[in-house]
Amino acid sequence: MEIEVNKELDIFVIRIIGRLDAVTTTEFDATINGLISGGGNKLIFDMGQLQYVSSAGLRSFLGTAKSLKAGNGLMAFFSLQESVNKVFQMSGFNKIFKLFNSKEEATEFMNA
Amino acid sequence: MFKNRGIAFKLILLVSTSSALIFLLILAYNYQSSKKMIEENAGQNARNLSRATVNRIEAALRSVQKVPENLACYLENASYNKDELVRVLRAVVETNPELYGAAIAFEPHAFDRTALYFAPYFYKKNGKTEFMSLGSEAYNYFDLDWYQIPKELRQPQWSEPYFDEGAGNILMATYSVPFYRTINGRRRLMGIVTSDISLEWLRDIVSSIKILDTGYGALLSKNGTFITHPSKDLIMNDTVFDIAEARGDKGLREAGKRMARGETGSIPYKNIRGKQCWMYYAPIPSSGWSLTLLFPVDEMLADLVKLNRTMLLGGAAGIVLLSLAVVFIANSITRPLTEITNAATEMGSGNLDIELPLVRSRDEVGRLSDAFHAMRDSLRDYIRQLTETTAAKEKIESELKIASDIQMSILPRIFPAFPDRKEFDIFALIEPAKEVGGDFYDFFQIDDTHLCFIIADVSGKGVPAALYMAVTKTLIMSIAKEGITADRILMKVNDELSRDNDVNMFVTIFCGILDTSTGEVCYANGGHNPPLAIRKDGDISFFGETGGLVIGAFEGMPYTLEKLVLGPGDTLFLYTDGVTEAMNEKEEQFSDERLERELASLNVVDIQELIGGIMKRIVFFTGGASQSDDITMLAVRFFGEKTFV
Repeated sequence: MEIEVNKELDIFVIRIIGRLDAVTTTEFDATINGLISGGGNKLIFDMGQLQYVSSAGLRSFLGTAKSLKAGNGLMAFFSLQESVNKVFQMSGFNKIFKLFNSKEEATEFMNA
Repeated sequence: MFKNRGIAFKLILLVSTSSALIFLLILAYNYQSSKKMIEENAGQNARNLSRATVNRIEAALRSVQKVPENLACYLENASYNKDELVRVLRAVVETNPELYGAAIAFEPHAFDRTALYFAPYFYKKNGKTEFMSLGSEAYNYFDLDWYQIPKELRQPQWSEPYFDEGAGNILMATYSVPFYRTINGRRRLMGIVTSDISLEWLRDIVSSIKILDTGYGALLSKNGTFITHPSKDLIMNDTVFDIAEARGDKGLREAGKRMARGETGSIPYKNIRGKQCWMYYAPIPSSGWSLTLLFPVDEMLADLVKLNRTMLLGGAAGIVLLSLAVVFIANSITRPLTEITNAATEMGSGNLDIELPLVRSRDEVGRLSDAFHAMRDSLRDYIRQLTETTAAKEKIESELKIASDIQMSILPRIFPAFPDRKEFDIFALIEPAKEVGGDFYDFFQIDDTHLCFIIADVSGKGVPAALYMAVTKTLIMSIAKEGITADRILMKVNDELSRDNDVNMFVTIFCGILDTSTGEVCYANGGHNPPLAIRKDGDISFFGETGGLVIGAFEGMPYTLEKLVLGPGDTLFLYTDGVTEAMNEKEEQFSDERLERELASLNVVDIQELIGGIMKRIVFFTGGASQSDDITMLAVRFFGEKTFV
């Protein structure tokens, strides 16, 4: 897995590439916690290149959501691949998270 | 070749051969340049010596030449009578010590018309001056060289050395000067004045030449005959050309010719004793003779050879000393190295308590020894720690094994679970991964006609997942009371688990309640994989993806209750993602599609065989790739109230 973080104004756009599973969540958590503790409270996840997410990955997203909630932060996802989207649907994550087709839509949501 | 030799051997070989090579090169250079210098000096010496000797001989010859020249002058310009002539001649011989003898030989009838011969001759014999009148039938001096050659050439002339039998009976050379008288305007030869020089006297001069130990000088006449030579046999008997001929020495013959031409030069030459010499030759201009000087080469170079020998001995001794020093140094390095090597071998075989050699030096070997001590100590520590860690790990592992066993033991595992119930059958299988996992299933009767069955998957693995699973299972058991619905169960469990859930763990649960009298299944899904409904007629489909959130994430989440009716012979198949995400070595997943296909293809009588069949397919698919997640399957088959098996 690789993580690319780009800051666009006050929004962090986080591109996750590869697999997010029990092995890679440690690195993911460290990156995200760094962003949040650094004051970031608007996170958009670019899921276009995320091929697989395991339950451990879902747990990381859940943790992120809880951390942001404490500071009135927002998070959103866009460009989910079919397999990842399926997991989000199955686990009900689509109900608690904002999923968009494009970055523009996600950014718009953030700025609304 | 030297690969297996020790450092000491290599050092000695390298140091001594290279220093010996350097030393020999210097020695050779020194020898060559010294030799050149010595030869140049010898050349200079030879020139000086020959110049001095030639000058001495020249002086003697000139003084001998003066006598007949003066006499000739006197005879040409003065009148004289016989007595007067004899008196003058005697006085001349007596007053010139270098002179052996002198004669005034007149032409036939030139002095006295009546006498054919007239030639008064004085010579020295035993310290006295003797007189002799030359000329007789037996001694017809007109034909002799000393008379005839200057007469013909009309100029003064030294004769070849000769043994005079007529007069002196000794080896001599004669200088002859013709004298004339002008009669009627014509210059007419009157006779020859001669002076003799004893070659004994010349030999004294030449033999006084001392060259080194055995070198010598020799005098050669114009035609190469030896006039003086340390070996008396050669004198007047042999010429330099005879020797060149005998030895086949072209160089010597060439040198002989050059001597005859009055040139100076040098050639290598073996002397009469067979010793290699260097021969220098120079002319004696007035007589046309040549002086040769022989320098024995070995004596010339004797000092140099001696010096070289001393240096060679000194050098050899130096190299021996150097080698000893190298042996000492090499030993001081290799001894501790050998000891350390032995110790390392011993350590390698596992004995870390071995005493390491103590090296006191602070050099590289000392540091190596220190490093070895440090290595042994840290290895010892490491192994002790490893032993402790391993023991601790084994303890934890055994505890985990116990935890896993306990976890499994809280799941219902006795089948048939409800042997007295004919209207339904239930079977479940859990194949835990190596680590303690978070899958579980459960089923129990809420009341006589309601069977609750659940399948769940806790996120994560290990002891936290196991604990979470136990809590969840217990919660469900305590909540599932008569009259409750599946959605209510999930809501309550979710609220309980979400509260103060700091670790963000969650669990996906599918919960169903079968009305065993009607076949109606009311179910709710908290983010779990959708189960499959396998109808008796072979129709097979996923169902129950209600979009409910995983349990334990957020408090107060709603769950929808949905309904499905089973006809007799219909089956529900529940599973965890360990089934669909089972991976083979190509990292391909077993997948939902394959599961559906395999379920459809299995033509089995009961649900135990169904689950067993799927398990076999999964094992076949993964082909021995290690199982990373728990594999859990649960199947419920409804037979209908009136069906009896």
